[in-house]
Amino acid sequence: MIDSLLAYITLAMILFSIGFLGVVSRKNIFVIYMSIELMLNAINLIFVSLGRYYESMQPQVIAMIIIAIAAAEAAVFLSLIVVLYRRKKSLNSDIFTILSQKDSHE
Amino acid sequence: MQTPDITYLLPLFFVGVGAILLMILSTFKNINIKKGAIASLVFLTLAIVSNIYNLNTLGDIYSVYPFSDVFNNMIVVDTYASYFSTILILGGILTILIGLHYFQRRKEFTVEFFSLLLFSVFGMMLLVHANELITAFIALEIASISLYIMIGFEKVIDKRIEASYKYLVLGSLAGVFFLLGSSFIYGATGTTSIGEIGIFVSNNIDSNMSLIILGGTMILITFLFKIAAFPFQNWAIDVYDGASLPVTAFMAATFKAAVFGFILRLVLVDFDLIRDFWDDMFVYIIIFTLAYGSFLAIIQKSLKRMLVSSSIVHTGYLLIAFVSIGVIGENAASSIIFYLVAYFLSALGAFGLIAYISSEDQLRITYDDFRGFSHIRPYMAAMLSVFMLSLAGIPSTIGFIGKFYIFTGAIESGNEILAIVGITATFVSVYYYFKLIAVMYFYRSPEMTDVPPLKGIAPLVIAVIALMIIWGGIGNTLIAYFPGVDFLIDMAKLSYKSLFIL
Repeated sequence: MIDSLLAYITLAMILFSIGFLGVVSRKNIFVIYMSIELMLNAINLIFVSLGRYYESMQPQVIAMIIIAIAAAEAAVFLSLIVVLYRRKKSLNSDIFTILSQKDSHE
Repeated sequence: MQTPDITYLLPLFFVGVGAILLMILSTFKNINIKKGAIASLVFLTLAIVSNIYNLNTLGDIYSVYPFSDVFNNMIVVDTYASYFSTILILGGILTILIGLHYFQRRKEFTVEFFSLLLFSVFGMMLLVHANELITAFIALEIASISLYIMIGFEKVIDKRIEASYKYLVLGSLAGVFFLLGSSFIYGATGTTSIGEIGIFVSNNIDSNMSLIILGGTMILITFLFKIAAFPFQNWAIDVYDGASLPVTAFMAATFKAAVFGFILRLVLVDFDLIRDFWDDMFVYIIIFTLAYGSFLAIIQKSLKRMLVSSSIVHTGYLLIAFVSIGVIGENAASSIIFYLVAYFLSALGAFGLIAYISSEDQLRITYDDFRGFSHIRPYMAAMLSVFMLSLAGIPSTIGFIGKFYIFTGAIESGNEILAIVGITATFVSVYYYFKLIAVMYFYRSPEMTDVPPLKGIAPLVIAVIALMIIWGGIGNTLIAYFPGVDFLIDMAKLSYKSLFIL
């Protein structure tokens, strides 16, 4: 039992690392969003496999709640991506540089 | 007579219902911003009245789990949570009162904004009431998601949307680490309830604690991110600068208090026995936070960016008290709670006053724009000076008392080095705070034409905040029989004690 739990958690941590790398290294703002979703789902996998290990329903419920929160976050994320795309006609995060300009206006 | 359980939750109930009602009301054409603001003020006032009623009637120290068969002890109502809730609701009320003029001048703001503000206050209140890690995560996300939208609300301005996107990506990333930490702690202990984790830790202190420490570190990463401490501070300046000024005031004043409110509960109840593990790490974090925050504040030309950078320095002061908890926990913990009140008042006043000045078409952004401001608006300049004095920690303001308690606590618990670093940072902070006072008073403005008119309720509210700051610094030495600053400190001590009632 503990071996299969370890296997699941290793898989989850690999997925989490891929997601983290995606957030850090990718330029496309849509891919950044998908990487964060991947990280959240990796955590879901940890919770669900722990629930099987402890034979408890609590982590399964937690996984459901995390999915709901991820959906709420997705709504904000997608709408912001749409707004950003409409203004700049690009999804490359390198062109959003207004905040780093020194003489910024109110 | 047994108090019905709903009484304990009335503050949360009023804010939540108010948020949903305002969201529905915003679809009607004849509800303008002023009506929306009045409606949200009514709900917040009801919430704060019921909260103060709870504080008064339930006794000095109380700790109850309302509807424990439904919520399974996930929500706790104790003196500590009620004390923080009062601060947070007050933050909402003052933000609306100060920002009303600003919101009316800008076309983009609609009634939904107030609904989001109430949702955000609701999330923060839930965060300080949370007695379980996943509940805390949900509350944190409610507060954060509302804030993301509030920052990007004026979507015609590029800066707002970029700030919103930046905060959204980094905030979600930090939130994911919170969940990862919770999953590790669940894996180690088999529970996510705060009290039960503490019992598990004290029962198994001799066995291997590495998984809990790893999970705790992940949660502390989220905590350090949300309060903008050293390795995770870069988002703060950009995001706070990109947000509109009333939103910046709201974020700076309340969010930090809410996050501290939860993490103090978590650390004091759960990790009290294993907390020493993080002490060395925190010493370096504090030194770098203070040094880097001071450096950032010195090089800024824009007043708003300076205030934001200095909020990083204030995070450093709070963390000094955070590390000093332990040997004699009561003083250090209550000094954090008191300093949060002091910073809340000073920051809200400073940001609010600048927001009010900038709400007209004439913009004042950099130090130079405030040249000779005292000759144009003597009262406003005086109020701004009071806020600067309080942020710098000059005696006879509430900021001095707050810093006094923090450094006393640090020295009492043996962290003299941190106290020295903190006091040095305070000396440095005098430079960038007093520069504004000097610019306002010692120079004459070349052109005196752009005089912002005094309109609306905002100047009155800001004046009341300035009076509260002075009153908090002088205490009740002047006015007998009137609750002074001791009252706030006693309340902070009581609320600290209420954490440990089982």
